[in-house]
Amino acid sequence: MAKKPTLDLTKYVRFYEQMVYIREFEELIGKEWNNAAAHGMGGYMHLYSGEEAIAVGLIGGMDLSAGDCFIGHYRDHGYALAAGSDPGEVMAEICGKATGCSKGKGGSMHICDAARGFYGGYGIVGGNVPIALGLGWALKYRNQKNVCACFFGDGSMNQGAFHETLNMAQLYKVPVIFALENNGYAMGTSIERSHANQDLRSRVDSFAMRSVTINGQDIFEVHEQMAQIIQEMKEDPHPVFVEFKTYRYHGHGAADTPVTQSTYRTRDEVARAKEEKDPIKFAQAKLIELGVLTDEMITDIQSRAYASAEAAMKFSDDSPYPDPSELIKDVYA
Amino acid sequence: MARLRYADAITSALREEMLADDRVFIAGEEVGQYLGTLGVTSGFLKEFGPMRVVDTPISEVGILGLGIGSAMAGLRPVCEMMRMDFAMVAYDQVINHAAKIRYMFGGQFKVPMVIRGPSGVGRQLSAQHSQSLEVLFAHVPGLKVVMPATPADMKGLLKTAMRDDNPVIVMEALRLYFEKPDVLDAILPGLSEVPDDPDFTVPFGKANVLRAGTDVTLIGYSAMTIQCLKAANILAQEGISAEVVDLRTLLPLDMATPIASIKKTHRAVVVQEQWGLYGCAAEISAQIAERAFYDLDAPVQRVTGAFVPMPFARNLENISFPSEHDIVIAAKRTLGR
Repeated sequence: MAKKPTLDLTKYVRFYEQMVYIREFEELIGKEWNNAAAHGMGGYMHLYSGEEAIAVGLIGGMDLSAGDCFIGHYRDHGYALAAGSDPGEVMAEICGKATGCSKGKGGSMHICDAARGFYGGYGIVGGNVPIALGLGWALKYRNQKNVCACFFGDGSMNQGAFHETLNMAQLYKVPVIFALENNGYAMGTSIERSHANQDLRSRVDSFAMRSVTINGQDIFEVHEQMAQIIQEMKEDPHPVFVEFKTYRYHGHGAADTPVTQSTYRTRDEVARAKEEKDPIKFAQAKLIELGVLTDEMITDIQSRAYASAEAAMKFSDDSPYPDPSELIKDVYA
Repeated sequence: MARLRYADAITSALREEMLADDRVFIAGEEVGQYLGTLGVTSGFLKEFGPMRVVDTPISEVGILGLGIGSAMAGLRPVCEMMRMDFAMVAYDQVINHAAKIRYMFGGQFKVPMVIRGPSGVGRQLSAQHSQSLEVLFAHVPGLKVVMPATPADMKGLLKTAMRDDNPVIVMEALRLYFEKPDVLDAILPGLSEVPDDPDFTVPFGKANVLRAGTDVTLIGYSAMTIQCLKAANILAQEGISAEVVDLRTLLPLDMATPIASIKKTHRAVVVQEQWGLYGCAAEISAQIAERAFYDLDAPVQRVTGAFVPMPFARNLENISFPSEHDIVIAAKRTLGR
């Protein structure tokens, strides 16, 4: 009789640590936003707090060094950190510095890391989804045993690009994970106000695509399920649609203040989500229960994560802005 | 030298590059089993198989996404738009994505893809299938825009496009697709000739003086270059020597060649198939004014299409875009005649 596979608990402690690192990174940005100009920050700023288990659990299930890859949207800091990108280079990009991963030319919405298979964050809702089709196509074209993950939000599902892409992905059987981060709101518009059919997963049934719903706040469920799905995709290339149920703590972007947020959600709703659905608290409680995480370790991880975010900010602060000569570089290859 | 039709030059370029580089694949509507809407990929599916000749649904956004993503991952896609008008359905993928990826990610990625298809007026296809929308692409940094006029340039520029590491828009003049070599050669001897050498290419950003002259410079691209050549023939009968400059590519744009011509002729006519307002002819005229104002003996003349959606009726269609006679009139105006 097949034994139920046991959890690799060391791995989950590492995932927990990664989630805390992302949280501290994002919260530091949120805090320093009050002093944005001094750091070089500006424009929009979309923070990932509350959704960390998705990036960590899914990217943690891919083999980036062996050719797996992924593409994201503008809420993209967490993807890079989950993939192991240098936090200093990510922070420097967020602050428009020459040492940023995109040389300060992309900013917060356009983080990328070619060496780790991160094909970038994109600012047009749904615009990255068709590109994932091409990334998956390239894997299939070369007979690679790899997968590509494409992150997008519930807003993307109301773009035509999404539907053209899913149809073609299923038609060509490309190994792409369409990872819906359903946080309930497309900017300030709720699912109820924007989707005629609010069972979002059922919207892809028309493409005859394999699909699954996962609690995006539970790192164990995210990772166990995704690791299994990725293995199956590598054996038999096909696309999979995954609906991760999640919640975002901050406004849509920095411009979505408590005042604008009050037009679409209550403070109480946010507070309740933080209390009841927090992916870090959830993982922490379970790992303590499993006997692999102690209060001492939690304090240590917390302080190291904070120090890492601070160090990233210092690296960025110490970095120069791009030289004016950079203005006209990199337009063409 | 082979004497080819414009459409045959497209086929020849695509096939040679596919044979030379297995990263190249073609994706588009009816490119495979149907043998190509206009036949340029006829036989390709059989020769190269379904991974390299990809029949797609009618999903331009999907087609271009397929191209952009696979190009970023190292393939060299050729995305066919059945008509370049249809690229408008997927304008976001071209303008907000393909054109931006290199720059906004600080040079970490390249997007070596070709977006090609028939464009422009001439077959009674009316408002939604006859546009020449090069302005919308040539305005955008990050893209290259290629508009061949001759079979040789069609082949040589398309091959260069397929070897380029950037997104290249190749707009093919539908009007010229099936023009017979005899007809082309009657306009200018040798106009249909295409070198046999498989390494023959034409570089971007190098305009071509197709016909030498001394009195006036006619500047065109794509089908309008052929109109300019016809106009030059008429002008010659009236004792006026016109030099014809074919721009070949709008992005990059070679202004040195037309300006060198203008320094000789001191007169310029710029021809654009479609709408003049805010158009390519306007840009070229402005650059002439900036760089060669004191060499001009007369104001630069623009000859452009009527500012209307393309009508269907043949007689209306025929008067909607510049004819050789319109160009002759403009050339004479620069000569005070």
